[in-house]
Amino acid sequence: MVRRIRIIVLLGAALIAALWYALVTGAVPISLATLFEDSDAGAFQRMVFAEIRSPRVVLAAFVGSSLALAGASLQGLFRNPLADPGVIGVSSGAALGAIAMIVLGGALDIPNWLEPYVLPLAAVAGGGLVTAFIYLFARRFGQFSIVTILLLGIAVNALAGVGIGAFQYLSDDAQLRTLTFWMMGSFGRATWLAVLPAVALMALAGIFLFGQQRALDRLQLGEAEARHVGVDVKRVKRLTVMMSAVAAGAGVAVAGVIGFVGLVVPHLARLIGGAAHGFVLPASVFLGGALMVCADLVARTVVVPAELPVGLVTSAIGAPFFLWLIARARPR
Amino acid sequence: MLPRALLVASVAALGIPALACAPARDATRIAVAGGSLTEIVYLLGAQDRIVAVDTTSNYPEAATALPSVGYVRNLSVEGLLSLSPSLILGEDDMGPPAVLDQLAQAGVETVRVAEQHDPEGIFGKIACIGEVLGMGDEADARVEDLRAVADRLAAYREVSERSPRVAMLLNLRDGAPVAAGDNTSGGGFLRMAGARNVFPSIDGWKPVSPEAFAAANPDVIVIPERGVRALGGVADVASHPSLRLTSAARNGRIVVMDGMAMLGFGPRTLEAALDFATRLHGPVVGESE
Repeated sequence: MVRRIRIIVLLGAALIAALWYALVTGAVPISLATLFEDSDAGAFQRMVFAEIRSPRVVLAAFVGSSLALAGASLQGLFRNPLADPGVIGVSSGAALGAIAMIVLGGALDIPNWLEPYVLPLAAVAGGGLVTAFIYLFARRFGQFSIVTILLLGIAVNALAGVGIGAFQYLSDDAQLRTLTFWMMGSFGRATWLAVLPAVALMALAGIFLFGQQRALDRLQLGEAEARHVGVDVKRVKRLTVMMSAVAAGAGVAVAGVIGFVGLVVPHLARLIGGAAHGFVLPASVFLGGALMVCADLVARTVVVPAELPVGLVTSAIGAPFFLWLIARARPR
Repeated sequence: MLPRALLVASVAALGIPALACAPARDATRIAVAGGSLTEIVYLLGAQDRIVAVDTTSNYPEAATALPSVGYVRNLSVEGLLSLSPSLILGEDDMGPPAVLDQLAQAGVETVRVAEQHDPEGIFGKIACIGEVLGMGDEADARVEDLRAVADRLAAYREVSERSPRVAMLLNLRDGAPVAAGDNTSGGGFLRMAGARNVFPSIDGWKPVSPEAFAAANPDVIVIPERGVRALGGVADVASHPSLRLTSAARNGRIVVMDGMAMLGFGPRTLEAALDFATRLHGPVVGESE
């Protein structure tokens, strides 16, 4: 127990270190001395620091944490190591919502003040609708069982893929390029205006998910057993699925599709400190945040003054790591 | 001089988009987002002032050595600011909007240059940049030079009463040829060269089925170099399952040209269109070339 607490503290420190390093590193050199100077250079650096870099780093940390937390909760709920926010349809639903808005939004008469929120709102709506559909369908036509949900997720993801393809077909040249970049994820669009509502949603969902850790532990015994020890299994399923959808959906809405963090980080956490959710959930939060902040740091510094899509970076790190996990799990 | 008068009249009827081009406060350090705009800054001889370009700026060759701020639609705000530009010249489609907002917040002057897919659109871009950089006279002189090219193009359009039917392809990715429809730079290029687009009813760039392609039966197919290289070579284009039934493929009338020259709608596009028109119609009667 003490060891685990120590690891969590260390991971927390790693996140803080990553945040600090990301805040002081970037294309525009920022020095602490100039930052507080009363000069043009100081004003410029303050502007870059406060309005461009800070919202971006904060958003990256929250999105990484939320995706990892949602992934860890869903893997616990489904007792399946392959679960991630994708299986409950939230990623593809959010992508569908956002792409519909990119392609059709021009035809709507949207007031200026609403403009920054339109795309995130469409993504949240898309993610929420698809997840709700999976949830309701499973409850109506099958049991709300793990296998049903996983299979439904596959079917619904395929359907969302059809929708995304259809919008890609309908889009003009410029829209196509916009949505291609959106699908690869980026924190480059982060402004406080867009970041704060998303962060609030992610924090709220995170609190609910944290509340489930004991129930998730008991669920590992099996659903019937969990019921016997007093777990309201239906409620846990409902809360975990919905709150994971909110946590992941809010992130996808502002940053686009970012792969592999929700899948890989919980595995990494279990590898370090075991499978108890009292450890895996907080460890995933710190680790996911730290990794995402670092991935974004790579994305925005390797090809300065241009930048890479961050989804490219996370997948480039995540996929080989996943292969390594598979090779490691091979029976000897 | 009749063709030119006709051209001017027709453009006036279409209406040139109003350009918000005024002299910049400070045009000493320019970041350029858009291949055609980079080309124009070089044309005006102001390349020493460029501090950064985007990834579509690949002409002239020297421009590729400048720092790159990413793709024109996906610019990096901090990357741009790190080069402390005093002015950003951007193509009509530069973005994303959030980045432009942040640049405005940082107090960097940004000029978005209008796009129109005909010769007047190109002249408009040159005039606009001339105005912004305070080089109006140079711009006027360059436009005058280029009008000569446009006039020769207009002459082609006159001789080609029954214009050849042409398909403009972007590439043949995944087997389906992606063709230019209406409202595309490709469609504008064909019009400039006095060719009829075989897919006038398509809006934008769209994949076209093999059968639709055979039914459209273009006389000539024009395709950017990059699209051909991805496929292998011109022979592979002609024998491609989607294309081989067309008379263009059977008669070997497949034209390969530099994509950015054709579709960038900078000064080079006029030359490219003239080059294409020459290959399409043969030399104009009475011209030595």
